[in-house]
Amino acid sequence: MDTLWKSYRIFNYIKLTGIWISGIFLLVMMGFIVYDVAARNLFAGSINGGFEIVQNYLMPLVVFPGLAYAYSSGVLPKMDLIIERIPVNAQRTLVIVLILIELFVLVLLVEFTWEFAMNGLERQEGFPAAGRLYPLYPLFFLIPVSFALIVIENLFLLIRNFRIKEPTLIMIADNPETEDPT
Amino acid sequence: GGEEAGGVTEEGETITLRAATGLSAQHAWWEGAMVPWMERVEELTEGQVEFETFTGGELVAVPDEGSAVLDGTIDVALILPIYQPDQFPMAEVTMLPLSYSDTEIASNAWRQLIESEEELGNGQTYFDMQFADFRVFPISTTQEYSISTTGKEFNTVDDVVGTSLRTPSRIHEVYAEETGIDSVTMPAVEMYDALSRGAFDGSFYSIADWSGYGFQDLFTYTLTGVNFGHFNAFIGMDEERWAELPEDVQEAMVQAHDDIFGESIDIWTQRAEEVIAENEAAGGKFADFADLDPAVQEHFNEGIVETWINYAEMLEADGLPGYELVRKWRELIIEEGGEVPEAVMDL
Amino acid sequence: MDNLVVIGIILAAIIILLIAGMYIHSILLTSGVVGLILLEGFDILPGLLGNEPFNRVASYTLTTIPLFVLMAQFILQSGLVQDIFYIVHKASRGKNSLLGVLTLTIGGVLGAVSGSGTATAASLGQVAMPELQKHGYSPALAGAVAASGGSLSGIIPPSIILILYGVATETPVGNLFIGAFIPGILVMVVYILVMLVYFRAGLKKQNVHKEERTVPEIAATVEDVESPSVFKLAVSSIIAVLIMLIIFGGIYSGVFTPTEAGAVGAFVGLVAAAVLGRINLAFFRNSLFETIKLTGMVMLIMIGAQIFGRFVSLSLLPRTLIGFLEPIMDSPVLVLIAISTVLFVMFMFIEGAAVILMSIPVIFPIIQEIQIDVLWFGVFISVICTIGLITPPVGLSVYAVAGVSGVRSESIFRIAFIFAAIAMLIVCGLLIAFPELATWLPASAG
Ligand code: NA
Ligand code: NA
Repeated sequence: MDTLWKSYRIFNYIKLTGIWISGIFLLVMMGFIVYDVAARNLFAGSINGGFEIVQNYLMPLVVFPGLAYAYSSGVLPKMDLIIERIPVNAQRTLVIVLILIELFVLVLLVEFTWEFAMNGLERQEGFPAAGRLYPLYPLFFLIPVSFALIVIENLFLLIRNFRIKEPTLIMIADNPETEDPT
Repeated sequence: GGEEAGGVTEEGETITLRAATGLSAQHAWWEGAMVPWMERVEELTEGQVEFETFTGGELVAVPDEGSAVLDGTIDVALILPIYQPDQFPMAEVTMLPLSYSDTEIASNAWRQLIESEEELGNGQTYFDMQFADFRVFPISTTQEYSISTTGKEFNTVDDVVGTSLRTPSRIHEVYAEETGIDSVTMPAVEMYDALSRGAFDGSFYSIADWSGYGFQDLFTYTLTGVNFGHFNAFIGMDEERWAELPEDVQEAMVQAHDDIFGESIDIWTQRAEEVIAENEAAGGKFADFADLDPAVQEHFNEGIVETWINYAEMLEADGLPGYELVRKWRELIIEEGGEVPEAVMDL
Repeated sequence: MDNLVVIGIILAAIIILLIAGMYIHSILLTSGVVGLILLEGFDILPGLLGNEPFNRVASYTLTTIPLFVLMAQFILQSGLVQDIFYIVHKASRGKNSLLGVLTLTIGGVLGAVSGSGTATAASLGQVAMPELQKHGYSPALAGAVAASGGSLSGIIPPSIILILYGVATETPVGNLFIGAFIPGILVMVVYILVMLVYFRAGLKKQNVHKEERTVPEIAATVEDVESPSVFKLAVSSIIAVLIMLIIFGGIYSGVFTPTEAGAVGAFVGLVAAAVLGRINLAFFRNSLFETIKLTGMVMLIMIGAQIFGRFVSLSLLPRTLIGFLEPIMDSPVLVLIAISTVLFVMFMFIEGAAVILMSIPVIFPIIQEIQIDVLWFGVFISVICTIGLITPPVGLSVYAVAGVSGVRSESIFRIAFIFAAIAMLIVCGLLIAFPELATWLPASAG
């Protein structure tokens, strides 16, 4: 197993941790809303501020940590009309161009969402719920981090496509053993 | 005056300003204040200034208009500072509950609060402390907020305690807490659905705003004669962007604001009258606070006082002149003809 | 740069990038960002790019997306579909055409407990296709039945498409759910009728090549499969009915809102899996991972669409389009036919949620301009979207079925496309002729 795959393996564990975090918060969100419904109907009173907490805390925690894993899982839709019908070399050039464009946009996103988060930190941005203020800005940092992970995924893809003939938009090993078991 | 203003002359290149709101194009603030203001500015500048408008969150969503103006995404917007108590903690003062007021009283008080030269603390006026980054044109507040329910009536104190109401602002949440009302928070678009299926009892809402969500067919009981505050708004620009505008354009904008301020109040009164007629035709009932059981009145009034104190203390705890602010607001409201409970007078 | 020139450049870029096979979310992001730069320069980007991802995701209404998908995953991973299909198989014993009818009906029923057409199609592909093939259905027809049955989840409420439309246009999701009910049933009925015609035609063809029929294989079907106990089957059916009763009963009685129904449904699905004894680490891992992957996909596209939408707004494209359409604006039906044709083509090529999200900023102002009922239009395009799940070249339901069954997607598409075309003509035609099909139920329920 070479350095590329060794480092990709480590990277994969980070993504896996991310999707587990998302998954656990998804269960928390389910439980939270069910409890809120039960509390309103059975004990005449919903969780004070429950709506804001779900919206501002739980939703970002469900979506962002697992984003890099989702990105690399091959679930993202695209059109595959042309790519399979052109010569492999042209395919490879095309894929590299696509990755470079993707990187350009992703880097912009990382930069500006980071600025947004720093801005929020400076202004101590919060949200009102149940008569008090809850801090919101710490959640903002999830976004540049999750997009940065997707940038790293694309860097791996870029190296992978430079080194190997078969073009790809997901990290597949040339021989199956080196592929990550997860 | 129009004739001496710059117009399209050699130095008068057309200025296109991007104006936006997250509210719908039918909202009283857009239709009744922003649109007339823009039209008046276009008129006064004889077409030198043009507006490109974006409504309904097409470009900027509520409550991001303020930051969008400051970061230059848009030039001018309807800004609703109450939605961001973390950034504008002193804007909520107009939401404080009162014994009596109406749109006109509150609007005038709100305008005076912003334009006041009086120092509240640290040598700063209210405007300096909250909105110094903006060029602010205060517009009318909403009509007063009422409590409306889909059937629950307040005949005894026990009826009030445990009633579940949607609370649209932090002040309402405090008031609910003080009076034993259960507060429900949910997006306004889901409210009709949830209320019509009995998920909770009702809401704090301003009657003139009902039609946006069809509440005039839904609420059957509304408590009037006591008032749960007024939402406020202003037309805002970035202070630096404003400073770049030619002087005659600035003058036209100030003039336009003066011209439309009264009109921006009337639309709320008109809409409220229409909605009340529709609601009564659909079987809705309006209960006057003065006719309620004295114990119930007492309960609501205690909540009002506690909310004022709570709000002032909350600001003081953050190092802001909370008591100075609420006293100033009380003074302005009373000057304009409004009323507050006795105990609030003693604050 | 002139707006029209920028719009032209961006439109060309979108088509090129689509053909080149770029991810849909990247196309939206790239064309949005580049379009904004061309229109306004770099300075506009921080304000529009920085806050969109958070603001888009931090939405209570959008909790329905992960939670309805989670509900579907819990139900699928609990083996409920297998059990129910076994009952269907028993019930239709000997009557082969009935098996197809019941498979499509099951698709509709599953649609009522699942928000995602792809997930349902995949499980129908796994469970139903082998049985269908053993009862005289060609692999392609069996695949088309499973794919179209699964696609029904896209229109029969709860539906992710309706939720996205509701969020994008601020239409109450509950009303959309109610409004989609009759059209959803209609799509199902059309699928059933077309399927029966195909099945009859297939039988005739098989009679011609009678000697080729592999009779022994048909004989050795269900007997080989280990049959679930009657008790377990009873439990499964009761649970399936209970889930539907809880979700719809809860919404209509006001115990919870349609948004909260997502959480309640997922919770009930979890309890069902526990009752069926299917819960272990793999159960959680599969359900959660699949849900987060799908949620991540939808959210990435939503973020991309939001930024693309900002470009569309600033370019004043909707206003320009309304200008172009001016000659036919007086006749809403013509505008509608034009819009639905464009949408049908888009749904052919692009995943449904992405189409809804990328087209709303352009189409919605036109719909408002010609005063089309917003709720009706939501139901209408959800029908087109559901149908798009089984049309080539991008039909996620067909891909899902092809993936689990090993039947080539091209052969499934050949039949599924006919299903789609006929359903499109009949159901959309009916909806235009009789808008009450979508609006009557919500009006009488409110
Ligand atoms: Na469904
Ligand atoms: Na398709």
